[in-house]
This record gives sequence, C-alpha cells and structure tokens, in this order.
Amino acid sequence: MTVAACGQASTGSGSQPTSGGAGGDTVRLYTTVTQETVDAVVAAFAEAQPDTQVEVFRAPTGELNARIAAERREGGLQADVLWLTDPLSMQQFDAEGLLAAYAPAEVDAVPAEYRTDTFTGTRLLNLVIVHEAGLDPAPRDWPDLADPAYRDAVAIPDPSFAGSAFGALGYFAETDGGLDFYQSLADNGVVQVPSPGEVTSGVAEGRFMAGMTLDADARAAAEAGSPVELVVPESGAIAVYSPIAVTESAANTEGAEAFVDFSLTVPAQEAIAGTGWEPIRDDVEWENEPATQVSPDWPAIYDRQDELLEEYQAVIGG
Amino acid sequence: MANPGRAGPARSALRGATVLAAVGALLLVGFPLVELFAAAVSQGPATVVAAFRGTGALQAIVTTLLTGTVVTVFSVVGGTAAALVTERGAQRGRSWLRAAVLLPLVIPPFVAALSWGQAYGTAGLSDDLLGLPLPGVYGLAGVVTVLTVHAVPLVYVVAAGALASRAEPDLERAARSSGASAATAFRTVTLPLLRPAIVAGAALAFITTVNAFGVPAVLGTPAGVATVTTRIYSDLVFAADPQAFVRVLVLASGLVVLTLSVVGVADVRDALGDGLTRTGAPLGGAVSGGPRWPGALLWGYALATSVLPLLALVLVGITQAVGLAPVPANWTLGHFRAAMSGLGGPALARSVLLATVAATTVLLLGGLLAALRHRRGGKPLATMATLTFAVPGSALAVAVLLAYGPWLRDTLALILIAYLAKFWALGHRPIAGAAGRQPPELAWAARVSGAGPATTVRTVTIPLLLPALAGAWLVVFLFGLHEVTMSSLLYGPGSETLAVVILNLRQLGDVPVTAALAVLLTGMVLLATALLAVASRTSRRLVSRRDRA
Repeated sequence: MTVAACGQASTGSGSQPTSGGAGGDTVRLYTTVTQETVDAVVAAFAEAQPDTQVEVFRAPTGELNARIAAERREGGLQADVLWLTDPLSMQQFDAEGLLAAYAPAEVDAVPAEYRTDTFTGTRLLNLVIVHEAGLDPAPRDWPDLADPAYRDAVAIPDPSFAGSAFGALGYFAETDGGLDFYQSLADNGVVQVPSPGEVTSGVAEGRFMAGMTLDADARAAAEAGSPVELVVPESGAIAVYSPIAVTESAANTEGAEAFVDFSLTVPAQEAIAGTGWEPIRDDVEWENEPATQVSPDWPAIYDRQDELLEEYQAVIGG
Repeated sequence: MANPGRAGPARSALRGATVLAAVGALLLVGFPLVELFAAAVSQGPATVVAAFRGTGALQAIVTTLLTGTVVTVFSVVGGTAAALVTERGAQRGRSWLRAAVLLPLVIPPFVAALSWGQAYGTAGLSDDLLGLPLPGVYGLAGVVTVLTVHAVPLVYVVAAGALASRAEPDLERAARSSGASAATAFRTVTLPLLRPAIVAGAALAFITTVNAFGVPAVLGTPAGVATVTTRIYSDLVFAADPQAFVRVLVLASGLVVLTLSVVGVADVRDALGDGLTRTGAPLGGAVSGGPRWPGALLWGYALATSVLPLLALVLVGITQAVGLAPVPANWTLGHFRAAMSGLGGPALARSVLLATVAATTVLLLGGLLAALRHRRGGKPLATMATLTFAVPGSALAVAVLLAYGPWLRDTLALILIAYLAKFWALGHRPIAGAAGRQPPELAWAARVSGAGPATTVRTVTIPLLLPALAGAWLVVFLFGLHEVTMSSLLYGPGSETLAVVILNLRQLGDVPVTAALAVLLTGMVLLATALLAVASRTSRRLVSRRDRA
C-alpha cells in the first residue's frame, strides 16, 4: 500500500532519476530551519519519494552565510536547495545570482506577498514578546520593552546570527523609517544574545525579565512548564516568511525542484505545523494564529541589508 | 657485534621508517603551516594592517596574552602548592586526594564552563539557593578562573611527578636536621629541585590556555570578551565578508608565531615526557607530620570548582523545563532521550570513532619517531612533532583547512589530520621517554640469544613499553573525545563532533538538552579514565607478582 502511494507521488512530480551525473538522486539541502522541522519535512519527503535522498546541512543564518561564502571562494556553491529563515538573507543570494527562477507546482497556494520569481515562502515565523510569568507590569507592545522597569533585563536575538531577528530589524527599519526602537532599547541596557531560543531560556531561567522571541519557541517553553508568558504585541506579531529556492548551480535541478514542490504540499505543510510553525498555506489547519499580524514591505528594504546591519551594530554594538 | 641492533635488515627497516616519518611530518605539519603563512603573506602588508584596524583583532590578541599569562601564574602557584600538600604533607586518603586534584583534567573544559555558568551564574544554582551569584562568571574573570581550574592539575602532575622521583625527601630532612627552618629548606632545597618541573608545567599551562576555545566561547563571548581563538571562530564560521577571512589568516599565523616565541621545544618535551602520561606511576616519599588543614582545603577546592558545578549541570539536564525548581517532582530523563535521538547520537559515535582512530594512529606515529630517536633524521622530526603540540588548535585547523579543505571538506578525515598533527607529540614523548629508560642490555641479550629484530621488538621492547603505550593511547583518546577547538572550525554536514553539537545547541538556547549531552560526554570520559586506572593498577599488581615469583 505504501509502495503504491509512493509511486503515485513520484510520478506526480515527475522526479524519476534520469540523469546519471554526479549528485544523481541526492539533493543537497542547506538550511537554517529548526532541526526538528527539517527532519519532519525530509521524513515526509522520503515517504513520498523514496528514490531521492536528501543530504541536510543545518546551521544558523550567520554560519550558513559564512559557509556559502567559503564554498564560493573554493569554486562554487555545493547546495541544490536553500531553505532559509527570512527573505532578506535569501534576497542577498538572489542579488548575487545564486538562485534559479522557479515557480513551484503549488505556488498559487502561497499569498503573493510571500514569494518572488526565485524564492517562495514555506512557513511564517511570528516574532512576539516573552516575559517572566507574573511580571507586573507586563509589556503589551514593543515600545514597552524600553520601559525603565525592565532596565538591563530585556534580551533580543542577534540579526547577524538569527534570520528571524534580521527580519524583525527589517520590519522596524521599514515601518519606523529608522532604528529609533533599537536605540531606545540600547538606552535601556538591552542585552543581545545569539538566538531567539536563548532569549526564551534566559527569561525562563530568570536572567531576563522579558525579550523578543519566536512564538513557536515561547509556546513550547510554556507548554513544557517553564515560567514564561507569551504576548502578541498590540501592534501585531511580526510575521517573517521562511523562503525556499532552487540554486542556479544545482547539480541535481530535478531533485531540487521536486523537494521545493514538496515543501508546499499539504503533507509538508502539516509537518511544518506539527513542529510548531505557522504553515504558509491557509488551507492547512493552524490553531495558534496571532490576533494581529504585521509584515514589512519586504521589497522596500531589499539591497539595503548590509547598510541595515551596520546601522544596527552601531546602535547595539557588534 | 658490539651492537646487534644495527644489523643489515634492521638498518634498512629504520631507513624506511625515517622516510615514512618524514612524509608524515611533511603532510601533517609542514605543508599545512606553509600554506597558512603563504596565504597570510600573499595578502600584502596593506591588507594585513587593514585586517587589524577597528575590528577588535588587536584587543583579542591582548586578551589572549593576558589570559595566558595570568592563568599560567595562578596555576603554577596552585599546582605546585597542591603537589606539596599531597606529596609532602601528612594526608589521610592520599590517593583519593590526588584524584580530586586531577578531576578537572578529565572534565572537558567547555563542559566545565557550561557547568560554572549553571552553578555560579545569574539564576544559577548558588543564586537560586543562596541568592548569591558570583559576579563576572560571564566575562574575563570567569574565563580566567575556569581556565585556571583546568590548568592547575597540569602543573600539579608535572610537579608531583618531580617531587616523587627527583626531589629526594632525604635532602629536605637533611636540611631540617642541620638546623634549617621549614621555609629555608623549602626555599633552598625543594624549590630549586622543582624548578625544571615548574617551568615545564608553566609551558603546558600556557599552551593549553592560549589554545582554549570552549571556555572563552561559553563564558567570554556572551559578555563581549573575545580571544584570538573565539575571534578566528566567529570570523571563519560566522562572517561572510572576504575581509574577515583575511583576518583569520593573519590572526592564525600571528598566534603560531606568538606561542612559539614564548614556548620552547625543551619545555614541551619535558612537560609531555614526565607529565601527563605518568599520572599512573606510583608516587612516594612523603614527609610525615605537619598540619591536616591543607588537605581539607584541597578537598574544599575540588568540591567548589568541579563537583558542585557538575552537580548543577546534571540538575539542569534532568529538570523538565528551564526555570522550574530542580526538585524530584520535576525530574525527567526526556532530555537525555532527546539528546541521543537528534544529532547527538550520530555525533557521539563519530567522536568515539575519531578519538579511537586518532589515538591508535598517534601511537603508531609516536612509536615510529621513538624508534628513530638515535637516527640522524629522527631528531628534527621529533622536534617538529613536539613543537606542533604548542601550535594553537585554531591556527592548526585553519592551516589544515587551507591545505586539504578543497579535497576533504566535510569529511572526518579533515578533522583527523588536524588531530594527528596536534596530538602526535602526546604519543611520541611518553613512548620515547619510556624507551629511553629501558635498559638496552635486555634487547641485546635477546639478540645475542638468537632472536631476530622483529622477535626482539615483539617479545622484549613492546611488553616493557605497554604501560606507556596504554597511557598515551588513553590521553589521546580523551583529548580527541572532547576536542572542540579544531573540530568547530573543520566540521561540515555529516562530520559534526559531539562537542560541536553541544556548543551549537547551546547557541540555539536549548539549555536542558545541552546539559544532558555535556553530562553524557563527561560521564564517558570519567568512565574511560576509571577503567584505565583500574586496568593499570591490575597490570602493576600482576607485574609485581610475576617479579616476586
């Protein structure tokens, strides 16, 4: 029965291994997506297309960027598929000509603001506020994090390490027209840690009173019993879409396209939802939709990434 | 036939061995380091200067030198004092006390750093229980403290060994009975006799500290304190701009020059020969009498610096969720299961494999050099291998990456090359030392009685060397098991070591699973050490029984 189902799926996406070249039926995936989520999607893909092997390299955004830079220095990008956390990082690679134009099979299921000609959103990451359980007064919106009541006890993730934090930086820069928000945090003694996960665990431990983190992360911590509360800011959770793309230099273009196609199918989207993230498709069930959700006009900040990071580092410190 | 060891077939075998060792040294050490310096120089002086400007690179060098110096001074004082207490004082349970002083040696340094954060950091165990966090655990003070705790046993081992074998307690007794005060006897007899050991121990402490990556990464980086090793890591692993890569080359070459200008080959040779690998040797010669409190002080020190931090780490690893009280109601083994089911399991297997292959190969390479110790080509090769131990792992890893990265990127072989280059001396020195102490008459007797060279080596030389071989194997195995300085720069998809997985998990904020994996790693190291201790005690007992028979 399983075999029959698999056969259907693989003929459906037309990814029979035909080329005999290097790479063959192996797809090399470079990703910044949470290990648990990558594992779930890759496992679902293996069930649908058992002939195609996926070789995964997972690292945080900053580390993946460095790896890609090193590979290009040594002769060329080795990945067939890039699956990243935020559109700003992806667009930088697009601008350097590393991505192939590709419209996945079920691209129409993805809202137009979450895709371009080269990359397509797979899930949404919602940046929210996390604070100690019982904190009084509790922060209700982003500007509250600059309240002197939380002096030296607010944590934010590092945009040069975590793609989601880079997305948040893009949002504040685009909607405020500058880095006033980060300046006010810096004036209040904000602490920068590498990842949203460390913000959440730091608040749970009691090292920080509050901070900026990802909804899935804060929810998982609260469900496990950590003394933290999640607050969707009054101005809205910042939604950052996590894009996937086929690389221009892919050794196995067919396999790469099959994997990208698969990431937008209902089984893949359910795997994504099952690991705590908001699926990009509206027709896949998701019970944790934040009350309000905002998103920057991404193209308005494209090609300004380096400049944004430099300004940010001048405010917060490297 | 004055020297049967130099007969025809043996000589050609030795010539072959010389060629083999030379090729090994060239591939493992020579080629990578030449590549590194060539790449750094090829950037031109202007680029090199630019690489330093306004990036904190100079600050990192200053911090590294400062840390290296302070830790060396502290650990020389602490390690020598501890050696005097256990070897000269009247302590009950002396062998347990020795084990307590040595304990930090078998706790991976980055695990010690993690555990200190959990024990003494803000919201750590001491903060929770007493409302008393130690200020500055995250920062330069914490880095220096934890590195000192790790370096004290290194000095201790060398100093205690010297006290047992070289500094005759009879001389001290003679001085005392001739009317010298205890202080005068110490100053004029004990200390001068200990001086070579102290210098060797200091060299070992300095090399280890400058090489350290895990401790500054865990306790320094979050507080904005960068050393050369963490700087190389962040520039190589986290920066995409070409300028950062140039900085890596320059810093790595600078680090090599810096260490080798401070540490000489004799220092390393002494430290490795009589130090690390003779921990199992029986020590003796205690002067009886004297107060008991220094021993109690040592016990307190071991408790505060190793036992309590590890306990805090275990508690974090078994507590259901971050922020919950570490009481039995909240305990779970779930994090250990999660640790092994994710990347942890395969990484653990890889680390064990790497450490095993590295330890075995290092023994062969070390034995090769030891066999050549009287040959013309042998000396420079031995010097080269010995000096490579002093080259900080970060620089060595960058060199290996430049030399072999294009072919071996993402393979365990790349990491193995770095391990072999770094740890070669750990295999060579103890074997050469033990071989040097072996009376040559035994081998001659075997040859004169008609045994061929191969039979002589098999039946006489190797059995006598067995304790040294086992000790060297274990030391390299342990170093390889928790190595992080080099593997964090060389790993790729499918070649993550356990230490790399632990550090990466920590950056993602997964506190309990990080703790669980760190506890597992430490447990394995402790177990391996305990097994070896039992094995060496048993074999010693067997040997002495056989000698009596």
